Amino acid sequence: MSRLEKPADLEKLRDQIVAQRNSKSKWLAVCAGTGCRAYGAETLADSLEEEIEKRGMGETVGVRRTGCHGFCERGPLVVVEPSGLCYLGAQPKNVPAIIDTLSSGDGAIDKLFFQDESGKPISHVDEIPFYKHQKRVVLENNVRIDASSILDYIAVGGYSALAKALSGMTPEDVLNEVKKAKLRGRGGGGFLAGRKWETTRNAHGDPKYVIVNADEGDPGAYMDRSILEGNPHGVLEGLILGAYAIGASEGFIYVRQEYPLARNHAQKALEEAREYGLLGKNILGTAFSFDVKIHRGAGAFVSGESSALMSAIEGHVGEPRPKYIHTSEKGIWGKPSCLNNVETWANVPHIINKGADWFCSMGTEGSKGTKIFSLVGKVTNTGLVEVPMGITLRDIIFKIGGGVPKGKKFKAVQTGGPSGGVIPESLLDLPVDFDELTKVGSMMGSGGMIVMDENTCMVDTARYYTNFLAHESCGKCVPCREGVRQMLIILNRITSGEGKEGDLELLEELSEFMEAASLCALGQSAPFPVKSTLKYFREEYVEHIKDKRCQAGVCSALIAYDIDQEKCEACGACLRNCPVNAVNKSEDKVFTIIQEKCIKCGACFTACPEKFGAVIKVPAYTMQKQPATAALIDNKA
Amino acid sequence: MDASKQVTSEHTMPPLDVLIIDDEETFAEACSQTLESKGYRVVVAKNGQQGLQMAGTAHPSVVLLDLKMPGMDGMEVLGRLGKIEPTAVPIVVTGHGTVDSAVESMKIGAFDFITKPFEPEKLLESVRRAKGLSVIRKESAAGDQPHSSNKYDLLLQGLDVLGEAYSMGLEKRQLLDELTYLENEAKYHAGSLGQIKKKERAILDIRNELLEADAIMRKYEFQKNALIQVLLDVQERFRWLPRHILNWISGRLNIPLREIYVIANFYEAFSLEPRGRHIVQVCTGTACHVRGASETLTRISTMLGLQPGQTDSKQEFTLETVHCIGCCALAPVVQIDSQYHRDPPRSKLEKIFKSLKKEEAEECLA
Amino acid sequence: MENVKLEIDGRTIEAAEGTTVLKAARSIGIKIPTLCDDERLESYGGCRMCTVEIETKWGRKRLVTSCVYPVEEGLKVQTSTEKVVRIRKMIIELLWPAWQLYAKEYGVTSSRFKTGMTDCSLCGLCLRYCSEVKKANRIYFQGRGIERKPALVEGSELSCRACGECFSLCGSGWIASRC
Repeated sequence: MSRLEKPADLEKLRDQIVAQRNSKSKWLAVCAGTGCRAYGAETLADSLEEEIEKRGMGETVGVRRTGCHGFCERGPLVVVEPSGLCYLGAQPKNVPAIIDTLSSGDGAIDKLFFQDESGKPISHVDEIPFYKHQKRVVLENNVRIDASSILDYIAVGGYSALAKALSGMTPEDVLNEVKKAKLRGRGGGGFLAGRKWETTRNAHGDPKYVIVNADEGDPGAYMDRSILEGNPHGVLEGLILGAYAIGASEGFIYVRQEYPLARNHAQKALEEAREYGLLGKNILGTAFSFDVKIHRGAGAFVSGESSALMSAIEGHVGEPRPKYIHTSEKGIWGKPSCLNNVETWANVPHIINKGADWFCSMGTEGSKGTKIFSLVGKVTNTGLVEVPMGITLRDIIFKIGGGVPKGKKFKAVQTGGPSGGVIPESLLDLPVDFDELTKVGSMMGSGGMIVMDENTCMVDTARYYTNFLAHESCGKCVPCREGVRQMLIILNRITSGEGKEGDLELLEELSEFMEAASLCALGQSAPFPVKSTLKYFREEYVEHIKDKRCQAGVCSALIAYDIDQEKCEACGACLRNCPVNAVNKSEDKVFTIIQEKCIKCGACFTACPEKFGAVIKVPAYTMQKQPATAALIDNKA
Repeated sequence: MDASKQVTSEHTMPPLDVLIIDDEETFAEACSQTLESKGYRVVVAKNGQQGLQMAGTAHPSVVLLDLKMPGMDGMEVLGRLGKIEPTAVPIVVTGHGTVDSAVESMKIGAFDFITKPFEPEKLLESVRRAKGLSVIRKESAAGDQPHSSNKYDLLLQGLDVLGEAYSMGLEKRQLLDELTYLENEAKYHAGSLGQIKKKERAILDIRNELLEADAIMRKYEFQKNALIQVLLDVQERFRWLPRHILNWISGRLNIPLREIYVIANFYEAFSLEPRGRHIVQVCTGTACHVRGASETLTRISTMLGLQPGQTDSKQEFTLETVHCIGCCALAPVVQIDSQYHRDPPRSKLEKIFKSLKKEEAEECLA
Repeated sequence: MENVKLEIDGRTIEAAEGTTVLKAARSIGIKIPTLCDDERLESYGGCRMCTVEIETKWGRKRLVTSCVYPVEEGLKVQTSTEKVVRIRKMIIELLWPAWQLYAKEYGVTSSRFKTGMTDCSLCGLCLRYCSEVKKANRIYFQGRGIERKPALVEGSELSCRACGECFSLCGSGWIASRC
């Protein structure tokens, strides 16, 4: 079977595939997302296949390499279907045991299961707290399909929304359904997708373009990559539906060069969709024609901005253009162009299939549906989480994320990437909602959520983002380029202990100026990291300036490493790990650090066994006088 | 002309800065005075024959050469000068001042040209820059020969002329013509260094590289708007964007070289210098940053002796920072070639670097 | 093209549709300071000196750059409100000392910032003139963000010196000093 000639053919094909898949009674879904690959998921999948083959179970048991399951902290992940057992951190040596449990039906391997606080194993995937409190809509299929196979996607109901739209809905119907669902763009700004679509639809100009923005540039965010890697057809189906509603005949997927797997999977998806008549001329035998090209982004944060992205597709440098006429009306080559990010498009098939009412049943008044976050940083369960809008930050970080590791104290959570801000503990009961997050000086952004604990310095965090923006701004307009340059100079000054009185006021004045005068959204939001840290953690800035102290022990100019003579057991771990031989072994076997040689790389601090905790961070000024450990900043033990 | 300015013995005189070869005395005198007023040591030769002789004995840094002279003309002197005194930097003086004769002389080794009538500022500026170049030439001539005869270095000059020809809107040649021209260019430079055999290999290599670039462009049907995609493929294939290939693309796609440089300089993915065979990437994404990526970076940077963005002289390793590789669970994460490592300690890094170096040595032997 | 009616600093004028607020203002003698603007070149919107405050006919107030904002029916423009002046002062201060054309007018005599690391204000006049008017394509911006700087396409010095038309556009003399 190849090309589908009418919408009804899709159902027939689906029945065939499902019957075929059902011939195997059990499936092992091995996460082959980039994170788990780094843990060796591919070797694991290989040895699972070998073992199955060896035991002659190939007829009944299958191995499926799927997209990201989300629980990246504990990879590689294996989920058994249909039982729902979930193995965490499985290694090739565990393979025989895993296969054993398949045939015996029970007798699972406790040590590979999630364990709750009391140490009780939790075997079922839906019972693990990390998954239990999530609401998986867009990510749901990631676990169920092999991303490189269109048949897998069709088997789980893929392209049924497209068939539904092409067989019984007019483009207006599709548009109205999306409008009714109040779907807001998941890329950052949170514009109503339906309204954007309508603008492009009503704009004059032909052809019209639809574009997937997969130029995920936020450091610490990988939602879009995981969707495109794990379920490219889901994104493509959304894009085709959008093209149908808007009246577009050509589409682009703008994907970062740094995401080779996502690009390959998207490429494969396009080829297969064309083969089956789901893309190209006369889709599903109807009069609707539409095709898609992949454009690789060469790496620039500012390329995510709509006019910059379109300029890059035209083959020019990705620099924002001053626009008082929106790209929805005049975009690529001056034609109406509708740009949405990966997650936004991926929501569309679900809305068409299950209806706007279903979609609106999730979320808050102003923000409907679910949102995917990459929950990272100082959090126990790093991973991708999909939650209904309106859930509190506290629930995400503590219930799903398992809180801050090693008993450290939570300090803040950063959302919205370099354009967002930090949210302190006092605001953790805030519901996740586009407007609520903006109100407190942060933003939803594309979904990066970075947890910070007491060992994270807020001034350093502001400096980090400002430094990022200083190199990622295109540099075209004065307020953004010069503003961010001066902010960085001031922040560098403060973090190296040379802050001056008046610096904070200068930062505030610059923030206001950049917000008002910059050319594009990147510049207008560039001061947010500084503004929000100043708003909630001003005392940390003051401490850096006045006391020359970094309480979190991060700003390297303000700290020094020292060895607590009482605690040192002379194991030599620090000595072996120091890259510059700055650790000295004295005659009575105790170790000391030669401050002049030390490059403050923290290797000794990391190497010192936790039970000793002898390597400590102290304020730099204490080391200039005497080697005593006058004021401890951070002590592991 | 003052006879005392003539060199009698190279041992008794301080090193010479500028040799003026010009039959027109007033002009030569004007130049000479201007240059001497700025402290340059100058001598004047009346004709080509005398000039070449003096160049060989006095080793001037810069030669100011009139193109139109009775007897041996400037072009011929220029051609011979390269063999007699390769480190001297020639500046051509022309009364016609047309771009044509200038380009022609630039092709055979002139560094710059100045026009008659005499303009002191231009002369001084040109001599200043030429002298700078001469210092570099002298240094590399005294230093290790193999390094300076890197095939790219050798050919770049010739290829630059080619790029110049394009952007000056000269008639566009067909592929074969261009290559033949390029070969001649290359042979000229090769000949002057006496490495013709090696040179021919290099020409073949370059020809193949340009053909590869053509194949890449063909994939995108020679479409102008595919420029970024073409450059990404070139970067992937060669690990950097060699200048001669950029010149080539400029001509083939009819895109000004400027546009190409803008893009090559703007995006992270492109490198205008050769990168190492092994890429060490330290992720500085936010998740990695809060878990101590900057300390990890300090450590690796010290171990490799490289700052982020640098490549070692043997082109073994390039150290880079990346904004996020999406492995936040492994934070702080280091990617070495295609392998991911969670905050590797010194011992592990040492092992990895050693094994990569060993691999390479074995490859070389094979 | 039809004409639209708008108000600039309290004066009602008619301007052709598609023209910019800056041009409309100049046509009636209202001066708006600019750095990166040149009549021969396409609007760039980089320096932000020409920022003005507008109110649309729907009553929406905001700051826009007058060199790229098109005139529209019922628009009210104020060219030197307190907000606008503050922005212009800050721009002069940030570019200090490379560009002081309006320093006196706006009362800026020094900068509170650590400036002066470059003599170029990155207005892009030279390179836009080179590409748009001369079609010579010799100058470009290298890098991005705070590392952005003008650069010559390698091997261009010769022809640049021969042309030199952009030298007079450069307020700081950057381009002349490198050719």
